[in-house]
Amino acid sequence: MTTTLRRAGLTLGVLLMAVALNFVIPRLMPGSPIRAIAGGGDVGELTTAQRNALLDRYGLNDSLWVQFRDYLTGLVRGDLGTSLGDGRPVSTHIGERIGWTLLLVGTALLVTTVVGVFLATAFTTSRRRNVDTGGMTTSIAFDALPPFWVGMMFILLFGVTLGWLPTFGATALVGGGGVVDIAKHLVLPASTLILTGLGQTYLVTRSSLIAVMGSTHIAHARVRGIPERRLRYGHTLRAAALPIHTLVLLEVGWLISGAVVVETVFAYPGLGRLVFEAVEARDYPLLQGSFLLLTVTVIGANLLADLTYPLIDPRTRVSS
Amino acid sequence: MFVAAALVATSCASDEATDAPADTGETDTEEPSTADGTAATPPASDPDASADAPETGSSIEQLTIAISGDESTLNPYTYVTGYPGLNLLGLVFDGLLALDADNEPQPALASDWTVSDDNLVWSLNLRDDVVWHDGEAFDADDVAFTFDYVAENTQSNWTPGVAGVASLEVTSPTSVDITLTEPSVDFAVRPLASMPILPEHVWSGVTDPENSGVDVSIGTGPYSIASYDTGQSYALDANTDYALGTPVADTVLLAVIPEPSTAFAALRTGEVDMVSSIVEPQLVAEFESDADLAVQTGPGFGSTQVNFNNERAPFDDPEVRRAIGLALDPQELIDSVLLGTGTSPNPGFLHPDGPLSQGVVTHEFDVDAANALLDELGAELGDDGVRILDGEPMSFDLLVYADNPTRIRSAEIVSEQLDAVGISTSITSLEPAALDAQVWPGFDVNEGRDYDIAMWGWSPSAQLDASRYAALFHSDPAIGTLNVTGLVDPDMDALLDEMLAAQTPEERDELIGSIEERVAEVRPFVVLFYQDGAYAYRASTFDGWVFQNGQGPLGKLSLVSN
Repeated sequence: MTTTLRRAGLTLGVLLMAVALNFVIPRLMPGSPIRAIAGGGDVGELTTAQRNALLDRYGLNDSLWVQFRDYLTGLVRGDLGTSLGDGRPVSTHIGERIGWTLLLVGTALLVTTVVGVFLATAFTTSRRRNVDTGGMTTSIAFDALPPFWVGMMFILLFGVTLGWLPTFGATALVGGGGVVDIAKHLVLPASTLILTGLGQTYLVTRSSLIAVMGSTHIAHARVRGIPERRLRYGHTLRAAALPIHTLVLLEVGWLISGAVVVETVFAYPGLGRLVFEAVEARDYPLLQGSFLLLTVTVIGANLLADLTYPLIDPRTRVSS
Repeated sequence: MFVAAALVATSCASDEATDAPADTGETDTEEPSTADGTAATPPASDPDASADAPETGSSIEQLTIAISGDESTLNPYTYVTGYPGLNLLGLVFDGLLALDADNEPQPALASDWTVSDDNLVWSLNLRDDVVWHDGEAFDADDVAFTFDYVAENTQSNWTPGVAGVASLEVTSPTSVDITLTEPSVDFAVRPLASMPILPEHVWSGVTDPENSGVDVSIGTGPYSIASYDTGQSYALDANTDYALGTPVADTVLLAVIPEPSTAFAALRTGEVDMVSSIVEPQLVAEFESDADLAVQTGPGFGSTQVNFNNERAPFDDPEVRRAIGLALDPQELIDSVLLGTGTSPNPGFLHPDGPLSQGVVTHEFDVDAANALLDELGAELGDDGVRILDGEPMSFDLLVYADNPTRIRSAEIVSEQLDAVGISTSITSLEPAALDAQVWPGFDVNEGRDYDIAMWGWSPSAQLDASRYAALFHSDPAIGTLNVTGLVDPDMDALLDEMLAAQTPEERDELIGSIEERVAEVRPFVVLFYQDGAYAYRASTFDGWVFQNGQGPLGKLSLVSN
């Protein structure tokens, strides 16, 4: 029980640290949010007084300490603040985007994990050297593919040349939003993430499997005449599951942030693009809010990984 | 139904609307179109027809345009970019006047106007047949309200333009007299020809305009906002009551596609009909070879230039800036970076085809003269081929936007050209906001500047009105709001003051000529070129794009037929 408490305390500490960094780092970037605040105005023509009035309204002329205090007070009340760009709550902005990101990256993560683990197990345990080498070489090549390039190639092949799938957006501009429409718009961006993400899952699974395959309990199992299929998936993969489990949970952070490039290429309205736009505009509250979400997700996934190890691998169980 | 068909024939009589749908093509009767586009009033005998007429009044059902970023709620206080944001704003709102394809002010909400002999009183007659998108009638009170609102809510593009208004008097529901504190030759261009007129009955309740929602983006323009999906798309519906012409499409969809390559792919698939981003010169042929697509080109007023920090040695010496000007060969840049699709620079900044330039100066490229001038200044060549001036090597950072390939390629050639005269530059590409923070911190010239040399450029609006031209060079920060080079030149200030106070266009033009000469002499920056606009569109959907000189085809001139 003390272990759990200690872990909770540690997590809280990390979270507080992250909150502080999320506040400081955007403000250390060169550049000013005044253009985003002023909206349509020709920002160069504002007088110094008008400029200061705008900054005052968002408390940006206050000392950093006062701004930080206000930010923390807001956080305690569950208020992430309002975007400097359009004055809407940061939570509204995130709410509009998070569904699309979860759909896109969630699909990709699921497929990547299932396919990657299956292929790696099938090829690595095939005991045919050229199959294993071929699988590894291919996955290293996939891992090195730049998502931007893959996305562009998909657009040109399946959008322009074959005309099978839409090239941009999450739904059709008119009459969109049905299941089929959403699925059609999902195929290319998700495939890009899957193709470029498969390599990592494959490689981690492979190296974990190889470590297990050399162990005596697998050799014994084989001597005992356990069928090859059961040996592969029931014994070897089960014992090799821990690093894969960790990888998948770490990649949950990627759920929120990792799809910036793909979301930009496909004009997909997810969180990655929101963060990118917030950086361009120096929209501090929006940056704080989305980074906080990212931090919480990563910390949460780590905690989850820690807590679920014992369920997956009895060797990590601590007797209390 | 007959009336509806006849109305289609009326709208087809114009040049822009040649692609009438096949089902209306049967009506070959050439109905004379009424002079001012008020044809949308059907004969009173058939009330049902007036309800049907709008749907068939346009020749295209749907036109989809790709834009590269969200433009927020598309009203005068929220739109984001000068292009295409301002152009799109013009689809929703009207000004009192409007610029034509040659950037000359023409009647819009004001049907005609006169200026008093002392150039102080502008009397405008307003149209009486205009209604807001919500059905309320437009009148002179809305005009008075807008001038007040823009003066009070200062973060608007038009606030400086209305600053010179002493009073605005509503003389009747359809006429106003605007009295200026001083004569302003540019008053017709800014604010009159660009300031969107706001509906008093809606905007009198708007207290936080820069955060205002799409519900107050109600104008008199040819299209009204039917829906807005943040960061993704807009649907604009044709304003069937539009008095100043006929919207060419029933619906204009704006799709936000941040990556230009994707937008151009979507153009090729037919998902979009026009891309607002410029087509890079090397790709123009590819689009022109596609039978369904076309590329419209025309002069672009946006400048590409080399800015010096005029406050920092050695660039505080005009002779050094002049020497660099002589060392730079814009033609090489135009040929190799733009493949010829650009206009040679006017060292006085103004685009030769723009409304203000007097064409009195030309760029001089002469490496020998540049070397001679640098020798004369005592800048001796060091062992490494870099000149040393006043004990300091002439070695500088050249800043450039990391997201702009044309600028980066230009910077590379500029760097080579400067090498040839013994000036060494190292190109530093920065994320745009980071570069802005060095060249134009806080977008406020009062905050100074921190750079040596930077690749820079001004958008087309700087070419259109003389107050913006003056803002580039005046040493008083209140006037020289765009003087990001930090030029201080009393002779220049005097000329600018005189020009801004000019009583007549002739007098002003003459002074602009003198200013161009002075700019070429003191060289606060070196203009390299003005890149031509090249815009790709799906000609099979809509071929009526009208290129507004210096600005491009996206806007009211294209999407309304008269």
